[in-house]
Amino acid sequence: MFKYLPPLNEHNLPYPDTIHPIVVHFVIAMVLFAVFCDVIAYFTKKTKLYEVSWWNLSFATISIFIAVIFGQIEAGLAEPYAASVSALNAHTVLGWSLSVVLAGVTAWRYVIRLQERSQLPIAYLAASVVLVGLVFVQTYLGTLLVWVYGLHTVPVVDAIRGGLT
Amino acid sequence: MNPDLLEQWGDRLGVNGLPYLVPIHPQLVHLTLGLFIVAIAFDIVAALFPLDQQVFKFLAIPVTRSSLFDVGWYNLLAAAVITFFTVMAGLFEVSLAVPLADVKSAWGFQALETMILHGVGGVLILTLIVAMAVWRGFQRYRWRRDMARQVQWSYLAAGLFVFALMFAQGTLGAHLGAEFGVHVTADQLLHLGENPNQL
Repeated sequence: MFKYLPPLNEHNLPYPDTIHPIVVHFVIAMVLFAVFCDVIAYFTKKTKLYEVSWWNLSFATISIFIAVIFGQIEAGLAEPYAASVSALNAHTVLGWSLSVVLAGVTAWRYVIRLQERSQLPIAYLAASVVLVGLVFVQTYLGTLLVWVYGLHTVPVVDAIRGGLT
Repeated sequence: MNPDLLEQWGDRLGVNGLPYLVPIHPQLVHLTLGLFIVAIAFDIVAALFPLDQQVFKFLAIPVTRSSLFDVGWYNLLAAAVITFFTVMAGLFEVSLAVPLADVKSAWGFQALETMILHGVGGVLILTLIVAMAVWRGFQRYRWRRDMARQVQWSYLAAGLFVFALMFAQGTLGAHLGAEFGVHVTADQLLHLGENPNQL
């Protein structure tokens, strides 16, 4: 059965480079910018920015599910060595959790937007702050996996194929 | 960089070649790319609004064309501001790069060629993003302020062209990390003959 799967390259991937770190651009940047726009709009009453925030949040929500799919594929192909396992597990659990939290916040925002209020509820802003906190932690964990543990980098894949566990 | 010059940092540089745990440039890259690509994407959706508004109606999502153009403008503005910092961090970190020298990338380049192309590409893309923000601003507040379609087709085409440059630039950057091991702690440890499980 395995012979029907595409061959893996020197990054241990069936395609040239990792895709997950590209898709997460659209979660990290859009969530942070959405909350930034909310904060500016809250204090300046520039309500246009609430719409900018909403559309960015919607885009982030679609993106996070694509990010999780590629994240699972690439985590499955990472063959993490001992030191990197706990960071990868934490990143996986937080990634799935974040998809639920982000979808929830976006759904909440959809309802708030339909109500056409002039100001966001404080509880929603508090939830946004928690969301930003989770995104920072998740980004940091993912950064560790790439830039400290070097998963899917050529030298690490080489070492794993050479017996590093 | 000249190893003697790197010595001037003393013991402040870690195994990854940086005076801190993880590189900052790739974090800012998330913001530059996310903001720019979404800006152009929303301008495209807004420009094609007569065609795609039925989709929003079908999804029961209230939408105004001008709010989609607002995303195109404010996201681009944010991309233009943040990208100065992206390039700044990139130039600082490339000045501390110690790439694996005996390697060729998937595109057939050596480390130095990749670093130079990525550096030149970064300044070029920064220039283009800022130029497009100015162009976008003129369309929004002067030339097309009373028109239903806020952007010119040529502007959208220019945006797609920058996407292509960003793809090339991003791949070169990925090669620097994932093939030449620049600022990747585990790769540098392996190069020193050490086990990355000590991390």
